[in-house]
Amino acid sequence: MAGAYDFVPAIAALPLLAFVVSLFFGQYLPRRGAEAGIVATAGSLVLSMWTALTVAGVTGSATTYNENLYTWVAGLADSAVTLRLGVLVDPLTALMLLIVSLISLLVHVFSLGYMNDEGETGLPRYYAGLGLFTASMLGFVFANNLLMAFMFFELVGLCSYLLIGFWFRDAGPPSAAKKAFLVTRFGDYFFLIGVVGVFATFGTGLFAPIEGAETLHSFPELAEEAIASGASEAGVQTFFGLGPEAWFTVLGLLVLGGVVGKSAQFPLHTWLPDAMEGPTPVSALIHAATMVAAGVYLVARMYGFYLLSPTALAIIALVGGFTALFAATMGVVKQELKQVLAYSTISQYGYMMLALGAGGYTAAVFHLTTHAVFKALLFLGAGSVIIAMHHEENMWTMGGLRERMPVTYYTFLSGSLALAGIVPFAGFWSKDEVLYEALIHGLGSEGSIGTLLLAGYAMGLLAVFFTAFYTFRMVFLTFHGKPRTDTARDPEPVRWNVKLPLAVLGIGAATVGFINMVPVKKVTGAEIDYLHKWLAHGGIELTTSEHYGELLHDVAHIEQAELGPLAPGAVSLLLALAGVGAAWTLYNVPEPEEHTDRLGGVKTLLMHNYYQDEYQVWLAQGVTVQLARAADKFDQGVVDGVVNGISSVSLFVGSRFRRIQSGVVVNYATLMTLSLVLLLLAFVVAGGVL
Amino acid sequence: MAIVTQYYLVLSAAVFCIGVYGILTRSNALMFLMSVELLLNAANINLVAFSFYYGNLTGQVFTLFTMALAAAEVAVGIGIILVLYRNFEDIDVTKAATMRW
Repeated sequence: MAGAYDFVPAIAALPLLAFVVSLFFGQYLPRRGAEAGIVATAGSLVLSMWTALTVAGVTGSATTYNENLYTWVAGLADSAVTLRLGVLVDPLTALMLLIVSLISLLVHVFSLGYMNDEGETGLPRYYAGLGLFTASMLGFVFANNLLMAFMFFELVGLCSYLLIGFWFRDAGPPSAAKKAFLVTRFGDYFFLIGVVGVFATFGTGLFAPIEGAETLHSFPELAEEAIASGASEAGVQTFFGLGPEAWFTVLGLLVLGGVVGKSAQFPLHTWLPDAMEGPTPVSALIHAATMVAAGVYLVARMYGFYLLSPTALAIIALVGGFTALFAATMGVVKQELKQVLAYSTISQYGYMMLALGAGGYTAAVFHLTTHAVFKALLFLGAGSVIIAMHHEENMWTMGGLRERMPVTYYTFLSGSLALAGIVPFAGFWSKDEVLYEALIHGLGSEGSIGTLLLAGYAMGLLAVFFTAFYTFRMVFLTFHGKPRTDTARDPEPVRWNVKLPLAVLGIGAATVGFINMVPVKKVTGAEIDYLHKWLAHGGIELTTSEHYGELLHDVAHIEQAELGPLAPGAVSLLLALAGVGAAWTLYNVPEPEEHTDRLGGVKTLLMHNYYQDEYQVWLAQGVTVQLARAADKFDQGVVDGVVNGISSVSLFVGSRFRRIQSGVVVNYATLMTLSLVLLLLAFVVAGGVL
Repeated sequence: MAIVTQYYLVLSAAVFCIGVYGILTRSNALMFLMSVELLLNAANINLVAFSFYYGNLTGQVFTLFTMALAAAEVAVGIGIILVLYRNFEDIDVTKAATMRW
């Protein structure tokens, strides 16, 4: 009998079908292709649920699945690399499939209100883009090897380009789309080298071993063996004379390049705020479930490999902690609703990276889950506000929307409480666990790694205050006080197709955190850390969080300090409350002022995003363009010069020489005769007759 | 008594030189054609002379072939001359000098 696993490829194939239908037949459908997308993503959601239930052991016996389905390039020689496409389903995959298909379905429904009801043109293209986006992300999630993951990773980047630049007639979106494409491509370049490096080193890109008549080993497994018993023992080829550990660090950091680009980590975060030029449902999809999540998911997927390199872990943690703080400070001064959310996205993904770097695998996946829910909620809520405000995004033109759009307000509040990390909303539990993991591993480890983890923890902790502050500044400016413009006094009403996704996600943002209440478990002893249990089980032992815990201890030598969860939790909660309180006193008044003006030069710095764009543009124009120009000179002058010189010499000689061809037959005859005579004379002289 | 072979060869060389001279100095296409015939026949004389000298018939048979070839060549050559006349209203080979670079 066909089980759930046989239908896993269909989870991605359904949205792909919707892409085709929307693109070619969307204009003949009453809703311009939305039907196809909604049906397909709903189907994906049902299949994902079935898969998750099977992984949980409810509807089937095999709790994991890992098969190669298609051989793409078959290696002929014994040691040749074979490139395959396959499916890997384990608890992490099942969870992510659920998140992606759920958010995608809600975004499709929301788009009915945001795009169709607003009378946008080009809707088939829009829904086709959404379908392809969803399909590529789902394909990325269940990819069972690094190359397949890379292919879908690139597809996700392409779709983000198409969707951010949806309103291509305006000036902003095409430029933002180009920027998103180029900046992420810069990171993907390193990822590509990393993929090639992994294949060259291990001869395989499998994330998890495939058991069978002949067991196919995975690359994290081989790497583990190489570190334990030496590279040649494990059949692993290292390069540049580096030992296995150093070489694996290099590989890990190369792949991390793609992660940093896609997950908008410092210094490649600059594309994400600009990506707000796209339609708001697309922003929700990009930032909650698909593109940005892809980077963090990739690290989680090959976590067994990263655990072998403490250096890479420390770098991940430091980049994550720094990004969390760095982006949070920029969010404080922004005036547009979506800009604040954009910087909060960067900041929250920083937390996930911090957790991954600190060995908190479950914490990172937990934060990925809760963030997907509450950030999708916040973006859709912002979309609802933008509909109401006739596409005006500046918060200073809003105010007092609380009474006029209660559904949006309360759901948005739920998301904001989750983002700010106020107990008991989802964000509190996950952010708290992230910080807790960073702290105990930072305290427990010796040497520079412990210091780096603690530095990451300190930055993450400080970011909690800023997060709470900018979140509630946004809430108060948008919904509280007196309306500051006529549009805010009489906002456009929104329909069910906006309210329904908001309600679903609003409830989710309040409750998703309950799947993993670790502090409560530690205090009461109740076994309610469901996510920990979920990730710790599974038929593929090498991708369970239990195995990761062992690796963390044995290979990376990152130890845990004995520390209760209550004190760190209380500290981060207090900081969050302080942030909310500060926002309350400054902005929860009928006529709020721009208090950020008092920051003076700091505000200018923050408004310009620490001049990150400027220095990157300088890097591009001042350095890269000059370098390219010099290379062009060399190419045009030296390389082409030699070729052109040779050809011009032969052209010149030819043009002189052809003059002997006069067209007069008599001349030819004369030449022939004279030549013959000369030849004869030559023979005679050479032959010694005379 | 037979004539010695050297005389034939001298005759052949003389005919050949007359042919070459004709080709180099004349501009009339018909003269050209005739000069080419002279060259061919100089070669034929040689073939026959040597064939006779060695008592071997191959050279003489070969000459028959050359004569047939010469007849065909003359047919083609006169055809070309006719076309030449049509295009240039003249059969002066130095005037038809457009088939070049």
